[in-house]
Amino acid sequence: MQLIALPARFVSTSGMGKSIIYSGLLVTILLGLNSVSAAAPAKVDFNRDIRPILSNRCFACHGPDSASREADLRLDREEDARRVLTAAKPEGTEPKSGDKHSGEIELLRRVLSKDPDERMPPPELSKDLTAAEIDLLRHWIDEGAVWSLPWSYVPPVKVAAPEVKDPAWSKNTIDRFIAARLEKEGLKPSPAADKVTLIRRLSIDLTGLPPKPAEVDAFVADNSDDAYEKLVDRLLASPHYGERIAMYWLDLVRYADTVGYHGDQEHRIFPYRDYVINALNRNLPFDQFTKEQLAGDLLPDPTLEQKLATGYNRVLQTTHEGGLQEKEYLAIYGADRVRNLSAVWMGGTLGCAQCHDHKFDPYTAKDFYSIQAFFADIDEAQHLKRGADRSPTLRAPELELPTEEQSKNIAQITQRYEDLVAQAEAEKKAAEKAAADAQPPKKDQPDAVAVTADGSDTTKSEAATPATPAPSESVGADGAPLIGQPATEAATPAVASPENGVAKLPFKLSKEERLQRAVKGGKGKYKGKTGEQIQQTRTELLAALESMDRCMITIAIAPRTIRILPRGDWMNDSGEVVEPAIPAFLGKLETGGKRPTRLDLANWLTDSKNGAGGLTAHVMANRFWYLMMGSGLSSSLDDFGGQGQPPVHPELLDALAIEFVGSGWDIKHLLKTIVMSETYRQSSAATPELRQRDPNNQLYARQSRFRYPAETVRDTTLAISGLLNLDVGGASAKPYQPAGYYRHLNFPVREYQMHKDDRQWRRGVYVHWQRQYLHPMLKAFDAPSREECTAERPKSNTPLAALVLLNDPTFVEAARVFAARILKNGGSSAQERLDFAFRQAVSREATPEERKLLSKLLKDSKTYYHEHAEASKELLSIGLTPVAKIANPARLAAWTVVARAILSKDETLTRE
Amino acid sequence: MYQSHDRAAQDFVRTIQRRTFLSQAGVGLGSLALSTLLGRGATPLRAAVEPARGIPGLPHFAAKAKRVIFLCMAGGPSHLETFDFKQKLIDLHDQPMPESFTKGQPIAQLQGQVLKAHRPMVGFKQHGQNGQWMSDLMPWHHKMADDICIVKSMVTEQINHDPAHTFMNAGTAISGRPSMGAWINYGLGAETDNLPGFVVLTSIGGRNNDQPIASRQWSSGFLPSRFQGVEFNSTGEPVHYVRSPAGVPQQLQQATVSAIQELDRLRNPMGTEPEVDTRIAAFETAFRMQTSVPDLMDISGEPEHVLKLYGATPGDGSFASNCLLARRLAQRGVRFIHLYHRGWDHHGNLARDIERCAHYTDQASYALIADLKQQGMLEDTLVIWGGEFGRTPMVQGKGEQPGRDHHIKGFSMWMAGGGIQPGISYGNTDELGYHSVENPVHVRDMHATMLHQLGIDHKRFSYRYQGLDMKLTGVEEAKVVRGILS
Repeated sequence: MQLIALPARFVSTSGMGKSIIYSGLLVTILLGLNSVSAAAPAKVDFNRDIRPILSNRCFACHGPDSASREADLRLDREEDARRVLTAAKPEGTEPKSGDKHSGEIELLRRVLSKDPDERMPPPELSKDLTAAEIDLLRHWIDEGAVWSLPWSYVPPVKVAAPEVKDPAWSKNTIDRFIAARLEKEGLKPSPAADKVTLIRRLSIDLTGLPPKPAEVDAFVADNSDDAYEKLVDRLLASPHYGERIAMYWLDLVRYADTVGYHGDQEHRIFPYRDYVINALNRNLPFDQFTKEQLAGDLLPDPTLEQKLATGYNRVLQTTHEGGLQEKEYLAIYGADRVRNLSAVWMGGTLGCAQCHDHKFDPYTAKDFYSIQAFFADIDEAQHLKRGADRSPTLRAPELELPTEEQSKNIAQITQRYEDLVAQAEAEKKAAEKAAADAQPPKKDQPDAVAVTADGSDTTKSEAATPATPAPSESVGADGAPLIGQPATEAATPAVASPENGVAKLPFKLSKEERLQRAVKGGKGKYKGKTGEQIQQTRTELLAALESMDRCMITIAIAPRTIRILPRGDWMNDSGEVVEPAIPAFLGKLETGGKRPTRLDLANWLTDSKNGAGGLTAHVMANRFWYLMMGSGLSSSLDDFGGQGQPPVHPELLDALAIEFVGSGWDIKHLLKTIVMSETYRQSSAATPELRQRDPNNQLYARQSRFRYPAETVRDTTLAISGLLNLDVGGASAKPYQPAGYYRHLNFPVREYQMHKDDRQWRRGVYVHWQRQYLHPMLKAFDAPSREECTAERPKSNTPLAALVLLNDPTFVEAARVFAARILKNGGSSAQERLDFAFRQAVSREATPEERKLLSKLLKDSKTYYHEHAEASKELLSIGLTPVAKIANPARLAAWTVVARAILSKDETLTRE
Repeated sequence: MYQSHDRAAQDFVRTIQRRTFLSQAGVGLGSLALSTLLGRGATPLRAAVEPARGIPGLPHFAAKAKRVIFLCMAGGPSHLETFDFKQKLIDLHDQPMPESFTKGQPIAQLQGQVLKAHRPMVGFKQHGQNGQWMSDLMPWHHKMADDICIVKSMVTEQINHDPAHTFMNAGTAISGRPSMGAWINYGLGAETDNLPGFVVLTSIGGRNNDQPIASRQWSSGFLPSRFQGVEFNSTGEPVHYVRSPAGVPQQLQQATVSAIQELDRLRNPMGTEPEVDTRIAAFETAFRMQTSVPDLMDISGEPEHVLKLYGATPGDGSFASNCLLARRLAQRGVRFIHLYHRGWDHHGNLARDIERCAHYTDQASYALIADLKQQGMLEDTLVIWGGEFGRTPMVQGKGEQPGRDHHIKGFSMWMAGGGIQPGISYGNTDELGYHSVENPVHVRDMHATMLHQLGIDHKRFSYRYQGLDMKLTGVEEAKVVRGILS
């Protein structure tokens, strides 16, 4: 591994009063390897040892939040805290290292005071310091009360990898950091896992799919020196790599197929999900990935992909509840965006500053609303007015994505429709003329398409002619073409003006809506045979329009005014108006006097020289490490603030962050660096000593062992059975689901329609994500509802999950299909077949005990199904897969039982 | 090179297993299996030891109530047609609402409309020894006037259904926060090893266009997912996937479960991986649930007079059946039982539709209280009745079928049992039923009171999330409503 040197600016601390004085000391501390063991009295580290005490015990009343601050004292900023750290010394003198003066320090005096009126924290708060905490404070003060910025705001500092006694073990820099620390702790790394375990681990970690037996055999047989690296490269190049990393990214950005609030209607967003998968597969640099999602529309000449990327700004939870108050929801959406942005990119909890300044971090309420102001140009108003009681909802601006076939089809139906209308008109005129010849003349009705503001039609006869559809020329809410040529005026239906008594629309309709409205006008307008044909064609056209894929995207409009909402109250307009700005303590954006945009924000987030790129790199490097190692270097994957857990290996996290930035934000490179390490390759078997010494695996003297994520449980089961559909991308899939699961939903009332073709067996990442009624299988295995950012899923092990494995038709069907495969390809004896099944599921042969156990289950099952033909028929009919015509259904049913046991085994679904 | 390497790796694993066996000899699986069951068997990867029953130190003090049954009347029942009688509304009928009441107030569907007062659409009388005001809609409630405490001064902060439910359940409208049932399940655990500590039941019957209910309402938010509410269905499968696949008889299902457990044990012969033991126990419970849950959910074995008391027909999925199920769940040790009955959202045709809702819920609510009393369980079961908000004194809609809009500044709920003073009314709205003016009870106060009855000091009951000590009652002031405690 090559750690790339960065320009000096990258490693300098941002100026914050006296903290600069200590920045030299800080680097020293980062260089020193502090021990977690209590044996050696190590130097106190402010961020690791002292900040948590101050933050937990003091900041609530003496912290950043000005509203709740007591005695005008704040302990979160060094310049203020010095007041109580130097009280016993003459004004202006700095405590020096080695001064044994802790007893005179006001801070300590108050903590130790026996007088309940003096003691801090006040006894009634039950926040008393422990003896160990007091001890740490004392040591810290004795050592000179060295202060530093919260660790995550200190840009990564390049530190040479430490020397180790046994250099043979280390494959790259990561290993040297890990090994040095282990030596200090008197621990040894675990031996490398065997090759079978390694290929299983790598396949799951990098593609989310188990390896095929042939792949395992090939890897085990490959004795070349770079066999491992070749495997890593192959997996990183797989189209399924993007799906696997997307599983995680979609948790962060809270991707879902439904709106989340109230009726939880579907919204059109899956092309954004496919964008994420494609971008990851293409290994789009993370800085570019960031810019496209936050501000793809603001890039020069954005590509289709870059437009789809802006679906990020639209995928938050929204509502279509009747009686909503627009202002309230604008505030709710704004807050949601701030929470997600800060969580995803900054590992921050800026959301806490919605009603007041942050209690523990230097974020102010003004920062919260200033970040919100970046998103003030996103058009929210449209969907708050439309799309109610409809699923999928109407959510302009949307990008229409017809296939070539759909475009042709729509054009063709439209032509047919227009011809029919023309014909009907001609027939009508002829009839009128005939009638007029016999009757006195009548006043003509005006002909125009009129649309009222509430969306109801006042369409007149000629309006029944739809505009010529040009789906690739879809028009956005602002009337600007989204792709291709601008729509012509002729393609825009007349919008009534206030003069003729119809309110002017506040926005233009999307092409889809215009067509639908225009076509709706044709309903029941014409009589006779032509009328019937028109009616039929109309239905066809509406269906064709509805069938087009669409994706919500972002198009900037004139920004709304954003004010600080006092105490978060959306009804209170008294707050200061704010412009887009980054959190004040992190500096200021230079935009030459222009209003900063989402693109400026994205640039700042990924600018490691003058922006927050160091922080972003820290946050993401920690998460990629977590994905590969099972626990983060900092265990708080979503809180890099003062209350977060500082990393046990700060230098290593710094090194990874620098590597990430230096490689050009190359995600595959970072992942490869991690998995190539010997640290990654260790066995996950934990000795009892190690389990006791390091239960959370923070020292990495072993790999982690954990149950697969929900999607991987599904994918693995389907893959082993042979059912898995490996198509990449496309509309979300709807597998079997318990009947009536959506019965509490309304507006509209919905019945789940499972897919009856091979979409049934698609990967978990494509399963329809209903925020309020997430598929019970995904839910049982801890997949989140995606209402908020999820950086780390819990890994529970519950009876509800066991019930899924036992009884969910997806799993039962997989077992019967797997059983058929075992019988067909697994050889002729029971032993051969068991070995075959084990190789498919767990990449090894069965042990004698396992064979014995399963042979008995097979025998008992056979006996039962031979006597109960009806039962075997029932079991073998579960799922859509056609029932194989076989001579001996009892045998297949019995093997289905055995297959269920093998598929549900812990080993089958555990990453080791 | 890898071959020898692999042998070393395998030897390593074997060595560990042998050594662990020696150090753990004598610890049987049986004890583990018993302590690791549904709701508590979900050991997160990194939790070293799971609390056996709730968290240490709880309850903070002697509890008056052991469990809660929350009867959620979803949609927002009108307080003005149930428990809050306002003579002045009759006097002011069809007159403009005085602006002093409505100016600057949040309004839902009546935004931008002329606001007119509307008289109660049903008759009111006083009932019970203390003369509690109740409308004629709910005759069974009249019979329990002396058992319930009507809180007439409720206040909430959210005016639309979805966020208002979230607020009622989690004390905030921000998503991702735990519901009160999850909080209580986390804090106190369940009194059973075979059922979840937090069960949700929703009932059939109401209008045809009921407001939706989101599963967010029983979410565990940032608490571990095992504390979330589990929805039991009174029709169809009682719990998802609780029935064996078609064609698999019980004995084969059992043999399969045993085989899975044995296979897992073979891979973990000395119990080096505690997660594997948890998993073995989870399968055990899952299998037992396959019979115990359907048995529990089958009320056909209840005596005729009990079914009659509730007005329940086995398998009908009604609120009546769910009330009876709530009692059965309470008896079996479930800590928090949350019933939802939808249909109380009466923007129009209120008089007709509220009568329907009353019809579906009135008798069963009474029966639940009477039954709990008879079983000697009312004294330690806190029963709470109410919606996510109330309804406006102003009329909505014109013509002969008027309704009322959402209203958050004053509405009614009732509580019974669990150390709550029976037979009283508490607090009051103003003369038009708009603002809560006497002893206002905020949703947070209701939460604080509920926790207090369960022996929990809401100020000391927190969970560390993103660096904050999060509480059900949040950071704003919340007070135990002492005036309703017996």
